[in-house]
Amino acid sequence: MSDENSEQEVKRGDFARKKGEVVLREHEYDGIQEFDQKLPNWWLFTFYFAIVWFVVYWALYYHTGTYKTDQQKIIEQVTQLQEQKAAALATALESITDEALINEWATDPVVVSAGEAIYTTNCVACHSADLSGVMLVGDQKIPLPGLPLDDGEWKYGSKPLDLFKLINEGTPPDEPGHNGAKMTPWGQMLSPKQIAEVTAFLIAKNPDDFPAQQ
Amino acid sequence: MSTATAKTTTITYDDKTVRQFMIFSIIWGVVGMLVGVICATQLSWWQMNGKFVEWITFGAVQSEGISYLTFGRLRPLHTNAVIFAFVGNMMFAGVYYSTQRLCKARTASDLLSKIHMWGWQLIIVSAAITLPAGLTRGKEYAELIWPINIAVALIWVIFAINFFWTLAKRNEPSLYVALWFYIATIVTVAMLYIVNHLSIPTSLTHSYPIFGGLQDALVQWWYGHNAVAFFLTTPILGIMYYFLPKAANRPVYSYRLSIIHFWSLVFIYIWAGPHHLLNTSLPRWLQMLGMLFSLMLWAPSWGGMLNGLLTLRGAWNKLRTDPVIKFFAAGITFYGMATFEGPLLSIRAVNQLSHYTDWTIGHVHSGALGWNGFMAAGMFYWLAPRLWKTKLWSTALANMHFWIGLVGILLYVASMWTAGVLQGLMLGQVAEGGTTLKYEFVETLQAIQIEYILRSFGGLLFLVGFILCGINIWKTARSGQPHDDTVEVAVPEATYDEMPLRKTFANDPFAYSILGILFLCLWFFLPPHGDKAALVISVLLSIKAVRAFQTNANKWNDWHERLLHNYLPFTLLVFIAVAIGGAVQIIPSLIVNREKNIEGRLQELYTPLELAGRDIYVSEGCYNCHSQMIRTLMPDVMRYGRAGVADDFSHLGESLFDHPFQWGSKRTGPDLSREGGDLADGATYMRIGKRDNVWHFNHFLNPRQTSVGSNMPSYPFLFESKTDFKSLPKKIAVQTQLGVPYPPMNQHEINDQARAQAREIADNLATAQVIVPGQEDLKGEELAKYLADRQVIALIAYMQKLGTYKMVEKDGPPKPQPLDPDTYREISEKGEAYRKGQTSAVNP
Repeated sequence: MSDENSEQEVKRGDFARKKGEVVLREHEYDGIQEFDQKLPNWWLFTFYFAIVWFVVYWALYYHTGTYKTDQQKIIEQVTQLQEQKAAALATALESITDEALINEWATDPVVVSAGEAIYTTNCVACHSADLSGVMLVGDQKIPLPGLPLDDGEWKYGSKPLDLFKLINEGTPPDEPGHNGAKMTPWGQMLSPKQIAEVTAFLIAKNPDDFPAQQ
Repeated sequence: MSTATAKTTTITYDDKTVRQFMIFSIIWGVVGMLVGVICATQLSWWQMNGKFVEWITFGAVQSEGISYLTFGRLRPLHTNAVIFAFVGNMMFAGVYYSTQRLCKARTASDLLSKIHMWGWQLIIVSAAITLPAGLTRGKEYAELIWPINIAVALIWVIFAINFFWTLAKRNEPSLYVALWFYIATIVTVAMLYIVNHLSIPTSLTHSYPIFGGLQDALVQWWYGHNAVAFFLTTPILGIMYYFLPKAANRPVYSYRLSIIHFWSLVFIYIWAGPHHLLNTSLPRWLQMLGMLFSLMLWAPSWGGMLNGLLTLRGAWNKLRTDPVIKFFAAGITFYGMATFEGPLLSIRAVNQLSHYTDWTIGHVHSGALGWNGFMAAGMFYWLAPRLWKTKLWSTALANMHFWIGLVGILLYVASMWTAGVLQGLMLGQVAEGGTTLKYEFVETLQAIQIEYILRSFGGLLFLVGFILCGINIWKTARSGQPHDDTVEVAVPEATYDEMPLRKTFANDPFAYSILGILFLCLWFFLPPHGDKAALVISVLLSIKAVRAFQTNANKWNDWHERLLHNYLPFTLLVFIAVAIGGAVQIIPSLIVNREKNIEGRLQELYTPLELAGRDIYVSEGCYNCHSQMIRTLMPDVMRYGRAGVADDFSHLGESLFDHPFQWGSKRTGPDLSREGGDLADGATYMRIGKRDNVWHFNHFLNPRQTSVGSNMPSYPFLFESKTDFKSLPKKIAVQTQLGVPYPPMNQHEINDQARAQAREIADNLATAQVIVPGQEDLKGEELAKYLADRQVIALIAYMQKLGTYKMVEKDGPPKPQPLDPDTYREISEKGEAYRKGQTSAVNP
């Protein structure tokens, strides 16, 4: 940016144009004058480049098929993820057994507290923090959507792996649910390890229902 | 005017209107920004949605949430107030002041000026009443209800008549660049506003937009994006071209840059709307146009910045002493920054991360606070001493305003960048093992709480600065007297406004432009091979046009000069330039993307009660925080898609009958498009979706109970207010008129069905022994009866229906659709599958 001193003296109209100097246009609008400077080259270049890119990118997509459609791409990715998930579950189930869940997972305080943390984030809204499935408002007991988890009843199977499966897959599709409420398949959001941790937390909270096995 | 002699005439400018617009701009500016600060704090503290009233009245008012103060209702008030009240009035002040001087004529009609000025303020007042009352059309920046829409259109036409009439009476043959931008503003805003507000009323305060689903989305963002372009940008560029050279006392940098950047800006801007809908179910060709035109828009936008900043050459020393120059220089710099950021965010890959996050909020505020806010302040400080014939009350205070405002903007923008990028990254972060996501939505929200607080503080600083501006202008006005300039102007001898239409159109520049654009469009739409031929012709035409320009530069120049002496042909060409983009994008979609062409998922129709619930969803402004659009991106599908469904992104058929569409533009809460589900076992109407009725019941009552850490307002008033069953027959009649294929139902059937469904849900909740605050004694039958009438039931009905669809299968190989470039591409792939004997559809 030049200041006033170094600014070249400006001439008006055709005279300046012929001399190749910066043109100050003849006309004034309410006292406002206008130079007629050349367009900056870097500016023109960005403009041209964007236009060329428009043509090139469109052609690459529609004429050469270089890029996949969004739908193709996402379906491929999701399918791959599902395979990965199924494999991860199969691998996890090799080591996660009823015995292991009770004897090893549920007895490890680190695992149980990890399970509790997951429970607190995801499960309390429907099953309550104390597992009772009931919320206290003042002195009133309001039932929450989920079943109580401390009453010794396990509606969909009482083996540790039944719990694991229920959490992973949600309420079985052919079951009516609890007052219409069906649990979401948590396998969508939680990994097999995390589900095992939650299961371990529930086992640890209900030692009578899951006696240690030999 | 009556004193006119042959040579000169004496004119007194109407500066009273300018003063009034300016004062109202400041007043509404303070109001709009204050509402903005309140909205900002609501995102940090849910209590700001009404609970705080309990504290400031020392318990006289008891409420967990007050309907008029919830974020969903206040945020539209904030955006409308800042855009239409603050910038609108500021723009009118600048336009009225400069147009008179650039035309050397008093505004054509004082009466029209008065109607315009007071009519606009009435519109603002009615907006300020209706928006918090929950009366809305549910489309961003187009929320105002239909009677106000008509008022806005009428007042805008009055403004247009007054403006063009003044041009017709001008004593200055040639139009200055500022006027070009004003012309573009007036013509384009009228076009955008009218088309995007077309709707059919169902009552005095409610209407349904005539477009639905993706078409409504397309029209909305054609409007929304260009409201930014032609309401917040072009008029302010015009104002810059007048006030900046005046304040700097320097010539404008480059006249030819003015010409090039004006025409390229107004032509290209219109096409960029779909960049608000990237990676959604909007057809890919529209997404491509949105992204690629946004990139092409960068240079034209920067043309304006260059012409502004380089005009300051030789006047930079004033930056130290003159607050006006300070504000202008900073404002134009922010314009440059925002118009660089815009194209960047329009790149689909960048948009994956930024969209639905606070990055967008930061982007618009660097424009609104930096560009609009600072240009307004600069103009006010320049105008006030002249309008009241005195000097600015305090330069020091103006400087203080500048620095407080600048720190405010930087704090605001930086915290929103951080928040947006952080949340965007967290939402896409996969957990150990790579098969699940690492964070719950609410965790990402909690991670940006500090940024939210800093943002509120930044916004507050800006507001404080602006109040200082108000005080300064007030004191300046008090120290002087209202003053209208009187000048002696020469009556021009030259002839102007005589260009015949033939001369406007029958010439090289126009012919080359139109033919070039025509073949470019044929390139988009022609079937394979025809398209490439059209491209080749378009390129050849461009080369020939450049050659023609090189040999006939003077002729082209003379034509444009002549155009500037003829305001009507000029206006006509501007209109053609701005109309093309919208027409090419919207009309094909209206023809192609219809029910009969849908293959795959097609939306289930809402029952009467679900429709009532949807209207509550719209009315409460849920779309301000929740999207209904799972993009074709892994983080979206992993988070919101259902287990085991590979293509569970949102398909365009899923929202085809939604008037208005509710795809949303920001996720302060999670996406809702998979909330709905199937009919519950044994139920006639009741559906149970992703979550059951009790969960929704508890959640609307107190979101933090079901979702710890949520900042959503509590909605206790939905448990008191009754559902409007009476209006349903009329609403369904209008929906049918709009093309939603409802089966014939009379008003009794509609009413009975709605009540039966409400009762079913209420019974379900009563069985679960829910408790309504204030009605704790209600049990069983009584409770069900009480609940069945309440809005919360209708809203739950809608939540349980949201996003449900049926499958539509079509036999045979895919057929190409004229006007749908994507089908040509799919043809080659799907057709391939058919040739190979795989008859199932490859593309859903």
